Amino acid sequence: MKSNRQPTGQSTEREGIDRRHFLKVSGTTSAGMSLGFFLPERAQAADTPQLNVWVEIEPNDTIVIRYARAEMGQGSMTSAPMIIAEELDADWKKVRVEYATAHENLRTKRAYGDMASVGSRTIRNSQEYLRKAGATAREMLVAAAAQKWNVPVTECKAAMSKVTHIATKRSFTYGQLAAEAAKLEAPKTVQLKDPKTWTIIGTSIPRVDLPDIVVGKRQYGIDTQLPGMLHAAVAACPVFNGKVKSLDASKVENRRGIVKVLNLGDFVAVVADNWWRAKEALREVSVDWDVGEHGTLSSAAILSHFKAGMEQTELAVARNDGNTTEALSKAAKVVEADYFTPYLAHATMEPMVCTAWLQGDKLEVWSSSQNPEATLAVSAATAGVPQSNVKVHPVQLGGGLGRKSPQDFTKQAVMIAKAMAGKPVKMLWTREEEIQHGLYRPASLMRFKAGLNASGKVEALHIRVSAPSILATLLKLPLPRGVDGQAVACFNDHPYDIPNSLVDYAQRNTNVPVGFWRTVGHSQNPFGRECFIDELALAAGKDPVAFRLDMLPNNEKSKRDRGILEAVTKAAGWGSQLPNGVFRGVAETEGYGSWTACVCEVSVNAKNEVKIHRVVIGIDPGYAVNPDNIVAQFQGSVVHGLTAIFWGENTIKEGRVEQSNFHDYRMMRLNEMPKVEVVIAPTGGFWGGVGEPAQAPLAPALVNAISAAMGKRIRSLPLKNHGLTLKA
Amino acid sequence: MNAEGMLRRKRLQSLLLAGISWPCFMGQFAYAQRMNSGSLLSFDDMVQPIVQGAKIFKKDVQIEAPILADNGSLVPLQVTVQSAMTDLDHVTHVYLLSQRNPVTQMAVFHLGPRNGRAIVSTRVRLAGTQELVALARLSNGEFRYKQMEIIVTESACVDAS
Repeated sequence: MKSNRQPTGQSTEREGIDRRHFLKVSGTTSAGMSLGFFLPERAQAADTPQLNVWVEIEPNDTIVIRYARAEMGQGSMTSAPMIIAEELDADWKKVRVEYATAHENLRTKRAYGDMASVGSRTIRNSQEYLRKAGATAREMLVAAAAQKWNVPVTECKAAMSKVTHIATKRSFTYGQLAAEAAKLEAPKTVQLKDPKTWTIIGTSIPRVDLPDIVVGKRQYGIDTQLPGMLHAAVAACPVFNGKVKSLDASKVENRRGIVKVLNLGDFVAVVADNWWRAKEALREVSVDWDVGEHGTLSSAAILSHFKAGMEQTELAVARNDGNTTEALSKAAKVVEADYFTPYLAHATMEPMVCTAWLQGDKLEVWSSSQNPEATLAVSAATAGVPQSNVKVHPVQLGGGLGRKSPQDFTKQAVMIAKAMAGKPVKMLWTREEEIQHGLYRPASLMRFKAGLNASGKVEALHIRVSAPSILATLLKLPLPRGVDGQAVACFNDHPYDIPNSLVDYAQRNTNVPVGFWRTVGHSQNPFGRECFIDELALAAGKDPVAFRLDMLPNNEKSKRDRGILEAVTKAAGWGSQLPNGVFRGVAETEGYGSWTACVCEVSVNAKNEVKIHRVVIGIDPGYAVNPDNIVAQFQGSVVHGLTAIFWGENTIKEGRVEQSNFHDYRMMRLNEMPKVEVVIAPTGGFWGGVGEPAQAPLAPALVNAISAAMGKRIRSLPLKNHGLTLKA
Repeated sequence: MNAEGMLRRKRLQSLLLAGISWPCFMGQFAYAQRMNSGSLLSFDDMVQPIVQGAKIFKKDVQIEAPILADNGSLVPLQVTVQSAMTDLDHVTHVYLLSQRNPVTQMAVFHLGPRNGRAIVSTRVRLAGTQELVALARLSNGEFRYKQMEIIVTESACVDAS
């Protein structure tokens, strides 16, 4: 298996592998649905009929379905091909999934479309063209069979990888038809199936990459091995955006295994024959950093910077319904509160890793990247080679969480490879580098002010956000009307029936780089919004669920918010008697095209230990493509979310991140995991995202429960700063 | 225009100045046109304010740029217009038009016969994936153009929903 799973030789040799030979080798060494990891350019293989870029059918009936995005544990490598297989009427047991590559996408003028795995959008953004690709291939197979039998296509039916002539019960397998079908012209329009007739979409199919993960065969970016490969450890300036002034490597230059110490301007790299030697040597390279003007930045200074934003006179207005200022002045009761959420590093299980190999003007890259096309673009620009000379080999990611979509680390690896031209170099970050050079979830200060009338109805809501902008700083995008949609997410589009709503935003950037942390704006803003709604329910003397339902009229705009809130609270038994000392909290959110709600049951003892008895969390994703995968995503989101809620915080001192590894940036432990019940309540008619929405309602539901239990409102995260710990 | 807008303009100007390959270029002015939303303009919306009904053909213009740009903040571009560049027949202007940027007219290059060749290179900032237009005005009042899609691979949920 090794020969075809691992890059073993020159790229020309690999390309030259005879396809039949390759199949023979892989056929004898791996049984069943192996995921070819390292394959020759399949599209160039002439002997397997290709019905379109997505579907290839081998004579033995094996259906190869391409997956054009990244797999980082989110399961889309299974769900997206399921959508093609559904319309193709394929026998899923005969499906093998293979990666499409960014360089093939470039060569085919983006036949595979967008390749990024970000924004919970793999399914929702590609379902239409994937369904069409499957249906097109199916119709071509049916047409080929009809031609063979000389009967009208309407007399033929496709099912389970076979086309049958209904009247005579004759049938051909897809493998028998593929060669002829591939010669036919693809139909211009196709009829997509009625969702009621789906047999694959909506079923819980195990992830195709699981068997290889379980037996340790799966190749992650960090597993890349190449002949003669060198290893690099890197260190960037501890103060963000600082530069190398000078370095002294005399202590390590002559050490065993050390090949080179590189000053690459923004960072230092030690290249060695193995990574440990490189990493250990790096500790003893003495670097004089030019930290610039930000060497004194502190968390306290950042907080005052945000607080000043609250008083800023000119603000970007994200939403302005009615006349909020006037309505607030007339309110019978005004409730006001500030909420705060901290910076968060991603701490992906696999730190940033990228292998790059520059040979002349040809570059090959193996990057743990959420966006292979961005990897290609960055690699070409950094190496100074044409984009068509770059190959981006797909590798599985050991977690992405949004950190691996920006390609800062790929750029570093290619810079190193350029300095070591001719040799493949694998660059791997240490955990310390990963935590201290993140693209952090922005810290955010949120101010809420609401006016209630005499009967407790919310007449006005003013939300002001003072926070950095990811879009303006990381992507350098112009902000429409000065509003970063992520900074005000779930505020500018809150579903509640409040006649006067004002949302304004003070863009307060700092030297701490910010980026997309799973669930992005929805990882923090719902915490403020849904906790504050609970404060209002308390002020109005109403039950939190009834209070929300009152503000969610059963109309087109808020019916799904209402629907998921009802489904989850019903599953949680909201309103039923709880044991003494146990309290419930609820939250409802919407984001990434889906609707979510959560109910937590907790108790807090005298030692401030929080016991989570139950988490009931649900989603309406429109169509639930692979329910078991949704459950897995939600369970994973609860782990990720609880970690952030209890411990997650990056603080800044002297311009640097204070935390460095898991001893001070704690992860949740296995025994601390509460019981999670996932409610999947798809209402159909739309395709929503699944990877991110779960975290949105978790923090507010949990904190609402804790606040109820303690009789004291908690308005900032993480909970450790309130003296709270999680009881296993 | 607010202070940020002014800064942006200055930045654009300095970028242009820095990025222009000298022999091909005489004038050096990029100026802001109107502010638009982030939505995509139609081809006519992009070119007609300049073309104003004159004859326009999709030929003689080439754009060299990466198809994929990881970050829209700095995208290198080179525009070549086939032209004799004589007193009687030359390119007078090359416009770079954006379909999505707040400022549609990203750059205008003023050229004349003394340039010898109608080649300009610069760097532009793109607010996301879009189809650019390089528009050349000829000395006879006609226009030539080329469109090119540039994918800004910004890996992000740029939409907030």
